[in-house]
Amino acid sequence: MTKRYVLVHDENKCIGCQACNVACRSENNVPESVTRIQVRIEGPHGNFPHLHFKYNRVSCEQCENAPCVTVCPTGAAYVNKDGIVSINEKKCVGCLYCVAACPYKVRFINPETRVPDKCDFCKETRLARGEQPACVVVCPTQALTFGDANDTSSEVCKLIDTKTNYLKKVELGTQPRVYRIPSRKGGI
Amino acid sequence: MKLDRRTFIKGASAGTAGCVFATLPGSIAALGNSLIKGSEQSVASICEMCSTRCPITARVVNGKNVSIIGNPKAKAFGGAVCARGGAGHSQLYDNQRIVKPLKRVGERGEGKWAEIEWDEAYSIVAENLNRLKKQYGPESVAFSSKSGSLSSHFFHLSKAYGTPNTFTHASTCPAAYIVAAKAMLGGRVRRDLSHSKYVINFGHNLYEGINMAETRGMMEAQMDKGAKLVVFEPRFSIVADKADEWYAIKPGTDITVALAICHVLIEDNLYDKAFVAQYVEGFDEFANEVKAYTPEWAEAICDVPAEDIRRISHEYAAAAPHALVDFGHRATFTTEEFELRRAIYAANILMGNIERKGGLFFAKKAGAYNKFAGDKVAPTLQKPGVKNMPKIDAKRIDMVDEQYSMLWSSGGIYQTILDATLDAHPYQLRGWVMNRTNPMQTMTDRARIEQTMKKLDFIVSCDIYISESAAYADIILPESTYLERDEEVSDKSGKNPAYYIRQRVVETIGDTKPSWLIWKELADQMELGEYFPWENMQTLQLFQVNKDLDLLNKIKREGWVSYGTPLMLREPSVLNTFVSEHPNAKPLDDDGTYASQLSFKTPSGKIELSSPKVEQMSAGRGVIKYREVKMKKADELFFIQGKVAVHTNAGTQNVPMLANLMSDNAVWIHPVTAGALNIATGDKIRIFNDTGSEEGHALVTPGIRPDTVFAYMGCGSKNKELARASGKGVHCGNLLPHVISPVTGMNLHTAGVKIAKL
Repeated sequence: MTKRYVLVHDENKCIGCQACNVACRSENNVPESVTRIQVRIEGPHGNFPHLHFKYNRVSCEQCENAPCVTVCPTGAAYVNKDGIVSINEKKCVGCLYCVAACPYKVRFINPETRVPDKCDFCKETRLARGEQPACVVVCPTQALTFGDANDTSSEVCKLIDTKTNYLKKVELGTQPRVYRIPSRKGGI
Repeated sequence: MKLDRRTFIKGASAGTAGCVFATLPGSIAALGNSLIKGSEQSVASICEMCSTRCPITARVVNGKNVSIIGNPKAKAFGGAVCARGGAGHSQLYDNQRIVKPLKRVGERGEGKWAEIEWDEAYSIVAENLNRLKKQYGPESVAFSSKSGSLSSHFFHLSKAYGTPNTFTHASTCPAAYIVAAKAMLGGRVRRDLSHSKYVINFGHNLYEGINMAETRGMMEAQMDKGAKLVVFEPRFSIVADKADEWYAIKPGTDITVALAICHVLIEDNLYDKAFVAQYVEGFDEFANEVKAYTPEWAEAICDVPAEDIRRISHEYAAAAPHALVDFGHRATFTTEEFELRRAIYAANILMGNIERKGGLFFAKKAGAYNKFAGDKVAPTLQKPGVKNMPKIDAKRIDMVDEQYSMLWSSGGIYQTILDATLDAHPYQLRGWVMNRTNPMQTMTDRARIEQTMKKLDFIVSCDIYISESAAYADIILPESTYLERDEEVSDKSGKNPAYYIRQRVVETIGDTKPSWLIWKELADQMELGEYFPWENMQTLQLFQVNKDLDLLNKIKREGWVSYGTPLMLREPSVLNTFVSEHPNAKPLDDDGTYASQLSFKTPSGKIELSSPKVEQMSAGRGVIKYREVKMKKADELFFIQGKVAVHTNAGTQNVPMLANLMSDNAVWIHPVTAGALNIATGDKIRIFNDTGSEEGHALVTPGIRPDTVFAYMGCGSKNKELARASGKGVHCGNLLPHVISPVTGMNLHTAGVKIAKL
């Protein structure tokens, strides 16, 4: 059976501490000027004293119906059989269509490799060694859960099935695979 | 990797004339870059990006990078590592790190440096320190260091030298809660946050000032176990956001809420009478005092509604004893910290949560643990004592008043260095040896510190960067970073004994040394070598484990070794497991606990809610009492500070990966206040008071009280050597007055300021 890797981000547990950002940068040699993942602390929203922050994970959504893949003229951008939106550097001609097409604005040109880059759930590094993605492992408050959604006994399935969650920009039909558990304090 | 003179010259000439960093003498940039050599297999070690010192595992990747993650064997830390910890490698090979001893060649603080060899550095330091000792006595030199880690070697040198004037950063951060715990409970206690069902928090921002085990524990209690969190804090911090209830309390008035909670617990008959009868001294005096501290009285001072204080007190009592009032960490809100922290402990003591799950407990080190277990469950560590250390007769410079006596063995009053140097009070200080400490940022009243630095006869600093304080040194001794050091086994016991160890992950970059070696070699040069009889770190480690090589290797291999099951003397469920695990354990009392075994290291052996000893130290303070403090002038705003998750106080602002995340601190201003001053987000502003004046920029946000402004501390360094941090943001210490608070000796982090648009 094929895998369907997904990530669950619990916005109640997330404290926006950037441990994920730094761990990803270190693990995947992401240059300083670009980022594969960050959590933006947005707000506070509301009126004093009834306030709340939004902890917005900004990273590849691993869309099942990925616009970056659709627009790629050479097949360099593709969805791997494990569900991870991937990049074949050899096929890339640097046309930047994928960067422009991404509705989540999370693809960028790596200034060192000159090839589009983005989160790949640490596929080449940690997953290849049988480890969880860097952001998941280091998270101080266990806000991230990673796993195979095709395995109904997995922790991610349990979370998705039992906790209120939402996906970003579903109206575009992208079918993203990063599930978010919204803050109990405010809207999503 | 070894860098010789030739590679240095090559590296230096490769730098272009326009590039300042490449010419910073003694830096990695000046010496040239090279591959990182070290273990490609994970090595268990201990982080040093903050003083929590989490267990980590690290390995070198492709000679370019070091991957650092938490050590999963340490369960409470869960294999996690924060942004600072993950960025440790960025500090390691930062081009601006100092990797060669430096000698000042311009005026103090002017920023002119010459590289020298270690021999020369040692002989200059030894000559000057021995000269001061001969002319003015060893007490004329102060030694100050960050606490923990290798600081014991540093303070061993100060003892061998003969000065009583040793200081840590205690009086600029945590000392008040430690002194208050000593006075009431006889020593430090820990928080069992992960098992707490109800937590009352006075701005202890565990979600930005990350202390990994506690941060995780708090979140687990909140989100997985449904604990309720109530936060009183003037700013909408991350912990305020995560709280079930947030009250934007008026700065400096936390004590009124703490006392009002005690009032309700007693007046509404909610407190644990049996506990108080068995363990507490001075209850009647305290109860009598708090009669007046009604929630209505508190509301008038602190802006928290009386009905909420009353309700919260009842909720807290209902959840007790698996509930706690958090005694915080940075204890510098007002000059009345001693009373605030004691009032918080009182609210815990009244509910009898001591040695209960979800309450407060004492650490169980091997010795105590083994006694209860009736077996040698955990090995005890030996301490190498050195005989015939010189007798120190001189008094400490902070021994001017008996009221500070609880601090003398706990870090001292750091800021008295300023008075002793500038006013010869109580006597003249002439030298300062600093070890990984940055008082220019942390001690308050920067101008006075600069005067002090300029007046002193001789200053030496051991650091990894030319920090704002090291910038004023005559000699800089470059320490290896933690990833390049081996250290002794450390005791990290919690509810049961645990050990861990820092181990070298990479080969030393440049010409740095671990500080244990620096102080030993300097001692040799000062003719104090006899007091440092050990050969090297391996000798010390083996001594610690009593030559049990298997044990040492196990600790090194695992990186974290813990023994037994948790021990909480008054928690039946915990003790049930404990006695079944340890067949020779001491017999339990009839109620299934060790309640009869619990005693306190106070004069009475009980918890001293009111204390004759404290009354003796400081007349009028035996009983906890509210005293009004004036924090600002009528036309000023409160200025408060706090920690951010991506920096450690004033220590990491120049680390490239962290500077990349945040290198500036905006000043938070409420929209109403900002509107009156015509200030919008991003505007350049001046923030000033009688102490100093800073320029920065505004962040207009409802996440702060209208009468208060806030900035994250640690930014705005004024020395050019910290190129990524220098001149960026507001230097908080430049706006805070020089203060020594009663009893605790704390400095003060709340001040009045005015704001003007530029």
